[in-house]
Amino acid sequence: MHPTTLPILLLLGGFAVQILLARVLTPVGKGVLATAATLAAFAASLALVPGSMDGAVAEAALLAPWDAGFTIGLRVDGLSVLFMVMGTGIGAAILLYSVRYMEHEAQGTTRFYATMLVFIAGLLVLAGAADMLGAYVAWEVIGLCSYTLVGFWYRQPAAADGARKVLVITHLAGYGFLIGLVLVHSRAGSLAWTDPAVADAFTSGVAALFIVAAMAKSVMFPLHTWIPEAMNAPTPVSALLHSACYVKAGVYLIARMYVVGDGRWLAAMGTPLLAVGCVTILVGVIFALAQTDLKRLLAFHTVSQLGYIVVALALGSELGLAAALFYCLSHALFKGTLFLCAGAVQHATGTRDLRELGGLAASMPGTARVWIVAAASIAGVPLTNGFVAKWLVFGAALDKGLLAVVLVGWIGSILTAFSFLKATVNAFYGAPSAALAGRTIHDAPPSMMVGMGAMAALCLVFGLAPQLLMLPIVAPAVRSLGFGWSVEMGWLGILTSQGTLAVTVGAGAVLVSGLLGLAVYRLAQAPAGGLVSVYSGGEPLPAGDRPGAVDFAGMAEHAFHPVYSLDPDPLYRTLWHGLTRIAGRARVLARATLEDRPSLAIGLAAAALAAGVWLV
Amino acid sequence: MDMVLIPLFAGIGVAVGLYARAVPQGGRSWWGFAAATVALALAARLAGHGWAGTLLAAAAELAAAGMIWSQSPAAARKYLLAIGLGILATSAALALTGFGEIRPATPLDRLAVALLMIGMALKLGLVPVYFWLPAVARSCSAMTTALIIAVVDVGTFCELLALRPIAPWMFEPYAAVWGALAVASLLGGALLALAQNELKPMLAFSSIDDMGYLLLGLAAGGAEGLAGAWFGILGHALGKLVLFGAVGAAEWSLGRPVTLQTRGLSSRLPVAGAAFMLGALGFIGIPPTLGFAGHWRLYQTGLELGGPALVAAMAAASAMALLCYVRAIHRTWLGPMGSHEARALPRLAAAVLLVLALVPVAFGLAPDRLRPASEIHVAAIRTGSVP
Repeated sequence: MHPTTLPILLLLGGFAVQILLARVLTPVGKGVLATAATLAAFAASLALVPGSMDGAVAEAALLAPWDAGFTIGLRVDGLSVLFMVMGTGIGAAILLYSVRYMEHEAQGTTRFYATMLVFIAGLLVLAGAADMLGAYVAWEVIGLCSYTLVGFWYRQPAAADGARKVLVITHLAGYGFLIGLVLVHSRAGSLAWTDPAVADAFTSGVAALFIVAAMAKSVMFPLHTWIPEAMNAPTPVSALLHSACYVKAGVYLIARMYVVGDGRWLAAMGTPLLAVGCVTILVGVIFALAQTDLKRLLAFHTVSQLGYIVVALALGSELGLAAALFYCLSHALFKGTLFLCAGAVQHATGTRDLRELGGLAASMPGTARVWIVAAASIAGVPLTNGFVAKWLVFGAALDKGLLAVVLVGWIGSILTAFSFLKATVNAFYGAPSAALAGRTIHDAPPSMMVGMGAMAALCLVFGLAPQLLMLPIVAPAVRSLGFGWSVEMGWLGILTSQGTLAVTVGAGAVLVSGLLGLAVYRLAQAPAGGLVSVYSGGEPLPAGDRPGAVDFAGMAEHAFHPVYSLDPDPLYRTLWHGLTRIAGRARVLARATLEDRPSLAIGLAAAALAAGVWLV
Repeated sequence: MDMVLIPLFAGIGVAVGLYARAVPQGGRSWWGFAAATVALALAARLAGHGWAGTLLAAAAELAAAGMIWSQSPAAARKYLLAIGLGILATSAALALTGFGEIRPATPLDRLAVALLMIGMALKLGLVPVYFWLPAVARSCSAMTTALIIAVVDVGTFCELLALRPIAPWMFEPYAAVWGALAVASLLGGALLALAQNELKPMLAFSSIDDMGYLLLGLAAGGAEGLAGAWFGILGHALGKLVLFGAVGAAEWSLGRPVTLQTRGLSSRLPVAGAAFMLGALGFIGIPPTLGFAGHWRLYQTGLELGGPALVAAMAAASAMALLCYVRAIHRTWLGPMGSHEARALPRLAAAVLLVLALVPVAFGLAPDRLRPASEIHVAAIRTGSVP
């Protein structure tokens, strides 16, 4: 067994054992088995890191031969290892959390754990695929797994509808990938990522098709609307979907495109991609501000955060790619943590509606602490990995002279901070809502706490010492994409190799962040067990009153009203209704002419075919 | 001897027989005609390309009319009109060309091509002469339509595949006309499938859509085109069998036709629901199903034949098929159970459906397992030595 295939085979082995022992194992046993398989796969993925640091590229066949002329083969380089480590590491934490979360599920736990394992394995195959066809197969396998998992509670209409939307939007956009690789194959006769013939065939049109597919998976505006609807799934599914295994597939695809022809496609597609990323940052966060459902709020933040990653990828520089990949890993950690915290809250209280929450810091202190670390990270507070990630993105944009991008990112960060302030205060501080009155609420059990706590701890570790992630994981990935590595990073993410402008602006950003944090802290008057007042975004509120989720949502909706008209769903609905109307009219016409009058149909067909044959 | 279609038809016959024992599809006469249809189709494959094979295939087509007649004489009349004219037209074309061996002088060669086209269009139910297929689907039991599509139509298509290398002059100069017929079928079939409320006619129109894809592979020829058509026809046969089987199970369970107003059938019929979903995924061509192995090649063929515009048309048809199937899955199978009563599916029928649903996935994971048979068949097709 080749060490490159080992992580995938461990996951698939876990899947097979899940199926075989389905009738024997309890839900907890299935969870432990899945966690063990994923942890083993994580260890096997980590074992690939030294090789990738040395620049080694490992090749192995996974399904050989698969189909005439094609082998589902692996070519594992630095970028592959990054995604493999991320997928298995985050996956293991989430599956550990699932053990208790899913233990009371009456049925479907085998389906759940088996699909989760294939889901993670799919990401690993995608990341390691030696050619585009293998990547496409893995791409669709991931899509099917997410469809199955989002629709886990398929008897609930909301879950089934969410699953439908995931499949329709991502699969339809995925035809871009398929058509693109058909075009490449017809021109190059090969689909290997590193084949020089493929590089010549990979035109900007093909790149655009690939990017459309990536946009849908990575929730770029306007193809992002499936993600809030996918929230009616078990929380571990949401966490995996958002942090590691689904939305990151699009990020991977765009990053992988850099190995084709040294990223020549970027000349034509870089600016549109930057624009899409910037719009996505703002649309995502503005829609997040208006949410009162905790998971929907997090979902829109995924949209916004993916915007940062895509912007960094589109910069096309060494620092931009480093920023994108570091952000990708950081986002996996803090977003996975946030979703798991939201799940713990829902698990404990039975709701995730911010209007019905409050004061949970007293009854769920562990979850509250973990949440605050992750919330600080996504908001870009210094000492967290989120800060380092944003710092890198801003630095890379400044290096390119793109001040507008920095401005967009900065506005996005401020709005993110406000959004999480709202969520944190409304869920964890103040008095418990009337809906929770008289209920005994317990903190998350230890195994759930370990799962989310480990990821939150890493948010701090990689915030303090990002070089621990940069040197062994990110640098080999950037080098594998054909770039050098001259990024010198110190503690707290300080770029010691960058020019004065970036450092000055970055220092200013840190200072402003610190002052804002201090101001908010002062306004909040150090939340204890009682009521707190927070900055309300406007006039002071009457004494004793406090802004709730609804107030913030109302303010956001009022302030950003024009932005909410950018919701593309009405357009999709119009297209769907248009198509069904056309189909309905075609049916009426066809029934009246072709189906009810066979002789007319035969006559028409005979005349048309005869004319065609005679005219050719 | 045809080492793929003969086991396939035999397997289908056994599967339909077992399924029909658990979920009745018709009376004694239905069983007789169904057995005759499969046996004659098998005999036609054994007889090979020639008058014997053609006559046996025609007999299978006519035996299928018996199955339909026992359930709906009106639909049977439409079927007989199409099949009768189809047999006449194709037989005339084959007679004019000596089974493709002779190219008659102009204008007889053009007449032969036109007759072949119209005859095949009638027999396969292509747009615009598809009138019999939805009529049969609406009024007959699910496995009646499934047998016609998976055995009779597949046999007919393979006759056309066999003719492709023997008489390339009937295809290559007229690739545009064959292509137009294919595109009309794939787009028309997909659009009309989207307009259906009842699931069986929807599946019938989706079958027309799929036949358009396969015809494109045939029209283009070449190794990829023929292999695409070959993989595609296998996926078509297995996919349609499982889809009709799942809908038939639901009809039997409910005691009435399944429409888009039916809700939450998976709660009561989880195996049928899973089988429908797997069948639909294969039909749409999502990896890792056998459907993808065929579609992937057919996309390449489409690009060679008609450039990016044709690929865009194929993608549009696939997108409509996706919307159609996803709507059916979510409105009919998933979600909360409706207020209707539903019987549980007998274990035998569930087992048959499960096996039929998993076979295309297994071959999709390892299409190379089919390659030796496929390569022999495609090579034989290309050299004109098809039995």
